[in-house]
Amino acid sequence: MKHLFQHFFYTFFVRPWLRFIIGVRFENIEAFQKADQFIAVANHNSHFDTVSIMAALPNHKRAKTRAVAAADYFGKSNFTGLLMSLFFNSILIKRKREQGEVSAIDILDEHLKKGDSLILFPEGSRGRPGVISDFKKGIAILLQRNPNIPFIPVYLDGFGRVLPKDSFLILPLVCKVRFGNPAIAQRHDTDALLEEVKEAIFSLKNEDERDRNHF
Amino acid sequence: MNGYTIPTPLLWVFAGIFGFLAITTLIFQVLSWKKPTPLLQEMLLRTRSWWFMAAGIALVVMAPPIVGTIIIGYVCFVALREMFSISGFREADRPAMFFAYFAIPVQFYLAYQQNLEVFYYFIPLVMSLSMAFILVLTGSTESIGRSMALTITMLLLTAYLLSHIVLLYNMDIPGYHIGGGGLIIFLVALTGFNDVFQFFWGKLLGKHKILPTVSPNKTWEGFIGGIFSTAGLALGLRFLTPFSIEASAIVGLAIGIMGFGGDVMISAIKRDLRLKDTDDLIPGHGGAMDRLDSILVTAPVFYHLLTFFIPS
Repeated sequence: MKHLFQHFFYTFFVRPWLRFIIGVRFENIEAFQKADQFIAVANHNSHFDTVSIMAALPNHKRAKTRAVAAADYFGKSNFTGLLMSLFFNSILIKRKREQGEVSAIDILDEHLKKGDSLILFPEGSRGRPGVISDFKKGIAILLQRNPNIPFIPVYLDGFGRVLPKDSFLILPLVCKVRFGNPAIAQRHDTDALLEEVKEAIFSLKNEDERDRNHF
Repeated sequence: MNGYTIPTPLLWVFAGIFGFLAITTLIFQVLSWKKPTPLLQEMLLRTRSWWFMAAGIALVVMAPPIVGTIIIGYVCFVALREMFSISGFREADRPAMFFAYFAIPVQFYLAYQQNLEVFYYFIPLVMSLSMAFILVLTGSTESIGRSMALTITMLLLTAYLLSHIVLLYNMDIPGYHIGGGGLIIFLVALTGFNDVFQFFWGKLLGKHKILPTVSPNKTWEGFIGGIFSTAGLALGLRFLTPFSIEASAIVGLAIGIMGFGGDVMISAIKRDLRLKDTDDLIPGHGGAMDRLDSILVTAPVFYHLLTFFIPS
């Protein structure tokens, strides 16, 4: 029922709205066809990041894809938690672990073992528009533990201006989501693996800037 | 659609346009089947985009005015969004920009209703003052002058200038029955072909640069050859308009000169921002603003020349 709702909601409302009103351009959307299960790793500047990636997914993949979100932010009330689950199949994790709790990584790992795909923002927070801050290690550990699951690098450009942190005003502006092809992580060491993921996103960023046709 | 008929001359013009596009597509397609080159791929991409643009123009010209008004209004929104995206606005400008978008439906409604008085003062007066005031309310004064100037400039360039096309739908000209569609296709064809003429004359004879720091490929030869060719085309398409021979020649020259003006104006802005195109919305063509640059300026000029030559 929920997935049927998502199917219609994304196809007939979110996608047209993103493309024709907001001005979102999707590049290499075919990347999702090339992997059954994946971890989409993206830079993070806006709530629109999650919306756009979910909208880019093929309908049958969206049902099995979960956006990882901060419990301390989105789980403040049951209502927001419910909405997050309804629209984004969210997994809410705590950014700071208290003693005796299952670690966030174990929770995500379990979902991967069940066959779910994840959308992950390793910066952990939206930060300033247009700035990519340091990545947290979790993504590297997840890829280490699941060496057969590819990651899909995603570079989001301009969303920090459409809806920045601390703002409620959604401003239509041209912005881009660029997907890289799914890749199996080649390196084994956690830091090296993290660097690999980061490089993949930055190479999409460079591609984006080259396409912009500067003089 | 009670009693809604499309004038025959318009049907002929569009039969010509789509026929021309079909032949061009066929030639490029056959050539690229024989020996695909990057240039041919680029030309095919461009022609494909022209199909969409020609279909849009056909709707604007031949569908009921309300359809054309909505299409031009949406194109205007896309152009404004594009300019807001590239002009380097501050975060504090977001509320003013948000507000600016709402001027588009109001301005196009005023144009559709022929409410000329408000049409003329709404953006220059109401919008410029209220956007400046919104900018002041945000409290960030650092380079606020730039933002005040840019928000209203972008709105004038897009909504104010383009909405003049909608005014052409309701011109009441005695003895002229083709209507707004004829006037609009005349304006669009002259503006479009003027770009082409200037390009070809420049390639053919171009020696003396006209504005080397703004648009290094433009020459005096291209400019002069272009405006006279456009005047010639204006005479050829006179059957679409209520103009006399002298009037259509003058309108052709004016569109040639002002089309050049709009082109270099947007070029200068792009050069300042170090961009080659305003966007990559239309494959092979760049952004909406790259295509609209000339017609922004020729539309109001054409409208006012029309009211000058044909007092209604």
